[in-house]
Amino acid sequence: MRTPDRPLKIAVMSFAHTHARGYIELLKNIPSVSLLTSDPGEHPAAELRGRAFAEHLGIDYVDSYDELMAWQPDAVIVTSENARHRADVERAAKAGAHILCEKPLATSHDDGVAMLEAADAAGVILMVAFPVRFASTFARLKAEYDSGQLGQVFSVRGSNNGRLPSERAWFTDPALSGGGALVDHVVHIADLLEALMGAAPVSVTAVTNQKLHAERARAETAGLVTISYDNGVIAAIDCSWSQPDTAPTWGGVSVTVAGTAGTVAVDFFGPRARGLDTATGLPIEEPYGPNFDEALLSTFIDAVCSGKQPQPDGRVGLRTLDIVLAAQESARTGRTVAVSKG
Amino acid sequence: MTHTPLRIGLIGAGGISNSHLPHLLTLGADVYVYSEVGAAELVARYGGTVVDRLDELLASVDFVDVATPTFTHHALVKRALEAGKHVISEKPLARTDAEVDELAALADELGLMLFPAHVVRFFPEYVLLKEAVASGRLGDLAVLRFSRSGAFPTRTPWFADRALSGGIIMDQMIHDIDIARWVAGPVERVSAVSSKAGDATVPVEAAHVLLTHSSGAISHIAGIWGPSHLPFTTEYSVTGTEGSLAHSSAAERNYIAHLANTNGPSGLLPEVDPAENPYFAELREFTNAFGGGPVPRVSAAEGAEAVRLANAALLSLETGQPVEVHTPSAQAIGK
Repeated sequence: MRTPDRPLKIAVMSFAHTHARGYIELLKNIPSVSLLTSDPGEHPAAELRGRAFAEHLGIDYVDSYDELMAWQPDAVIVTSENARHRADVERAAKAGAHILCEKPLATSHDDGVAMLEAADAAGVILMVAFPVRFASTFARLKAEYDSGQLGQVFSVRGSNNGRLPSERAWFTDPALSGGGALVDHVVHIADLLEALMGAAPVSVTAVTNQKLHAERARAETAGLVTISYDNGVIAAIDCSWSQPDTAPTWGGVSVTVAGTAGTVAVDFFGPRARGLDTATGLPIEEPYGPNFDEALLSTFIDAVCSGKQPQPDGRVGLRTLDIVLAAQESARTGRTVAVSKG
Repeated sequence: MTHTPLRIGLIGAGGISNSHLPHLLTLGADVYVYSEVGAAELVARYGGTVVDRLDELLASVDFVDVATPTFTHHALVKRALEAGKHVISEKPLARTDAEVDELAALADELGLMLFPAHVVRFFPEYVLLKEAVASGRLGDLAVLRFSRSGAFPTRTPWFADRALSGGIIMDQMIHDIDIARWVAGPVERVSAVSSKAGDATVPVEAAHVLLTHSSGAISHIAGIWGPSHLPFTTEYSVTGTEGSLAHSSAAERNYIAHLANTNGPSGLLPEVDPAENPYFAELREFTNAFGGGPVPRVSAAEGAEAVRLANAALLSLETGQPVEVHTPSAQAIGK
């Protein structure tokens, strides 16, 4: 990681998203980074949030965003509830800070557009946190795609399955999350396809239900989405929260890309050591491999130092959000829906 | 069970006949083969008797096995039924909804057995899935994924003609359409997207089909007809409220060879264990039924329903919109 001349001041807005912890754990070990956090507001009693969470992680904390912005951070990481991304990004942009925003970019197209405009107007970087495209396996897939070893790609299928998020209640409150499994999981694979092909999504069809985790579900917990792209490629994504709470791991992300010269299948979190628990007979699964968040943060910090906009940028965030919004409309109406042209 | 050898007429001597004739012979049947081309070569390979005319075939046998290109199924099955024969037909049962409806009705009317060869119902990993679902072990099914991937069938030109074959959806993905309906129940809505690339000599084709079942369960079916080196692989992943079951043919292998001189796996057909060959199991079940044995696990009405769902997917390709499916035969196909 590049070392800037003075400590880089990075602020974390909100501990709402569970990824905040992962970013903080990585950032606090970088000597050239000075970290300050804030998580204001009322929080569910059962959740470790606010100052208590900061103390638990051993990091500096202030009670309000006003104090956080008064610190004049070079960069801000927005890990608030999806529906609050817009307000937080606008605030960070106004403070002149470069921004890394948790995915999905927002919960409405208008919010997304406003965020891009706010970053443009302030002349700051807006990057969206899609870590999977930083996997070395994705770099290999991209290189094989670019060199023509796949031939002409014609079909993709992907799955991003996980547990119903339970550490934070807002994930299953559509008013704050923007929906269910569609909003949580479609964007990761949509981003990979964006990074791979750069093609524009044309139309989307989605089917959903909420049979899984029915007692806690307030939006869809299972979803299947097909996307047609303007380069002729068709894609299908399973975004379901189909991993049970009792599963040995959180879930995973995989894609299979088919071209005229062959196929490549990538299981991004696949490699693991496997065993059995003697007492219960339950599987032991210990995944291993690099932490993609490290490369994501490294790219963001390099960009903050250089002032050069990195990928995935706000436009990618908006285009992947537009796929989600079209999928939601399709699931609601039973129709195939054209993707907003931005 | 019959005590005299079954006399079976096999119509067609193309690729799939290699997965019919040897098993019919193993079952002890007297097999007569009629085909416009290739009958002599097929019989030379496995045995049986070549017959030069369809009339002659129908006059010589009690049962007929139709293993010809899709677009010829309707006329041949109809002719065999009208000649009073019980019939096995390769899938799809026929190309159009009107054709399958007519065939199913005709078999009913004449009191004849008509079995569509949905062989995937005889693959052990799919039998296990059906049993797991039927036992309630997976609970209420929520989301199902199926994938089937192999080489584009270029050995004969009709596969590439969507009007004749129905393309990858009607020819290849109909297997998983049938399995999805078998395990998750009747389907109310179908949508599909497809793509083609390559050229006339090295074509590729893919499609994704989404099904919404009456139960509310949702299914995704992915199909690839890829380049010639692509091995044949299948996958499924099924999740219900009480459990999940997944299978990948590429992962579950009991024999892995890295030999300098060997033939690679076929891209056109799945690898099967010869001790438990699904094509043999299928033909044994059908011919047992001919001899008075139990009712097979797949009926003409179900074969017809699979064709209707595949045609709904093809209609969705044309209209660019999901297609509502009306299932007047829902009771007829309930088992």
